Amino acid sequence: MVVIESAGITDIGRKRKDNEDSLFLDNDLGLYVVADGMGGHLAGEVASKLVVDTVRDYMKRFKEDEDIEELENFDETLSKEANRLLSGIKLANQVVYKAAQSNESYRGMGSTLSVVYFTDKTFIVANVGDSPIYLVHDGSIELLSVIHNVMAEQAAINPNEAELMGERFKHMLTRAIGIEEIVEADICENQYFKGDILAISSDGLSDKVSPDEILDVVRNERPAKACQTLVDLANERGGDDNITVIVLKVTDKHEKGGIMGMISRIIYPLKKIFH
Amino acid sequence: MPILTLTFKENTIAVYRVVKEKSVTIGRKEDNVIQIENLAVSGHHAKIDSVGDGFLLTDLQSKNGSFVNDELVSSHWLQQGDSITIGKHTLTFSYDVYEKKPDEGEGKMDQTMVMDTDTYRKMLGKAGQQLAETRDSEQEPVGILSYLAGGDGEIKLTNRITKIGKSPSSEIVVKGFMMGSTAVVISRRPKGYSLSYVDGMTKPKVNGEVVKESVDLKDFDIIDVGSAKFQFVIDK
Repeated sequence: MVVIESAGITDIGRKRKDNEDSLFLDNDLGLYVVADGMGGHLAGEVASKLVVDTVRDYMKRFKEDEDIEELENFDETLSKEANRLLSGIKLANQVVYKAAQSNESYRGMGSTLSVVYFTDKTFIVANVGDSPIYLVHDGSIELLSVIHNVMAEQAAINPNEAELMGERFKHMLTRAIGIEEIVEADICENQYFKGDILAISSDGLSDKVSPDEILDVVRNERPAKACQTLVDLANERGGDDNITVIVLKVTDKHEKGGIMGMISRIIYPLKKIFH
Repeated sequence: MPILTLTFKENTIAVYRVVKEKSVTIGRKEDNVIQIENLAVSGHHAKIDSVGDGFLLTDLQSKNGSFVNDELVSSHWLQQGDSITIGKHTLTFSYDVYEKKPDEGEGKMDQTMVMDTDTYRKMLGKAGQQLAETRDSEQEPVGILSYLAGGDGEIKLTNRITKIGKSPSSEIVVKGFMMGSTAVVISRRPKGYSLSYVDGMTKPKVNGEVVKESVDLKDFDIIDVGSAKFQFVIDK
């Protein structure tokens, strides 16, 4: 089992009237979620909340009852847990899509979704949209999520042209939860090590604070303090959008079984901060 | 809503109103919203989409191109007074005097939105098609492990995570007393492949170096896991 210290904050920022971001974190479930909603008149808030709640409730079922039904469309190239997470994401997409279709004032609403989910020995990273997930390991920072916006996708094909496209395209997503009937998430699964740090954020942070700055903050401060420092930094630089960040740190790793596993039963602190 | 004024040699021919949520197509053929009967104009030459609070001009890969203020553009966010040249005709984009222009709004540029897939593909033109093809056929480069010792053949690393160890549930089973049930995992990440040591007394080696935690794999790396030896290559 893994021992994690985590914290998360969502902040309205300095320019917006509403906070359309949502987050969820739970060390028991090993589940960490950030969603950045879009769509006017509170619809963005509704969308991101629906996404977070759906993924949370769906993943909770597996915690309570290990052997629920076999999943449909099982992808053999992924682990059982990764398949579960993907079907949770698909469900969240359907929920938002249907809500948007059935209510005139919600039409066109959508949300990004970035999730980190811990299994016994690995962690799974999945995302739709442009909310980044960073891994800090061995002193360096790496983007584990795939950014689904016009700029990033264009940059993958033709870096020179992407630069000419300008800022505007940065905020134009090519994929989001709830926009189309079916959504495909990008996913990867990794081994974790003691000391690894993961940071999940909305673009309100990543537009204002560089990966290297995030690296510097999360390495030197504990999760709760690091979250506050990062949000403050984004606000100092304008706070143009809502700012959400979750920072989690693998503080210890307990091998299952074996004598060491038997003696070392530690009750670990749950740290949650909702701002 | 803004208006488009069509002129030819300084004579105003027509005035069109651009409406939100509706595309304005421009071309020589009859099915266009703005039809310009001139051989310099392609059948479906360009279009203007209402995106968020702004309006986006996209050249539909026309033969003679679309120009905004005398510059060739493939796509362009229209602003007050922009002059669009299509063949020998000019369309002037302007807002009503009292109308709120997108640039005057508070931080509208930062508003996130999702692009309509069709608009996106067309906007990107050929590059977009390339992208669609890459997506469809999953042409992400795939890593391959070839046995150099302890087995035969090669293993395609199509899984997001590949386990190597004693356990029969591992994708690659390597026997040995000191071998962990899962000794090593290889993760496929957006940036490439990464190899991590998991458990057991036998630690893996990459190019002779013992891996205590994890390393990124490069083309032609030699990997030792107990009695097995592999070479890693990226299949492009």
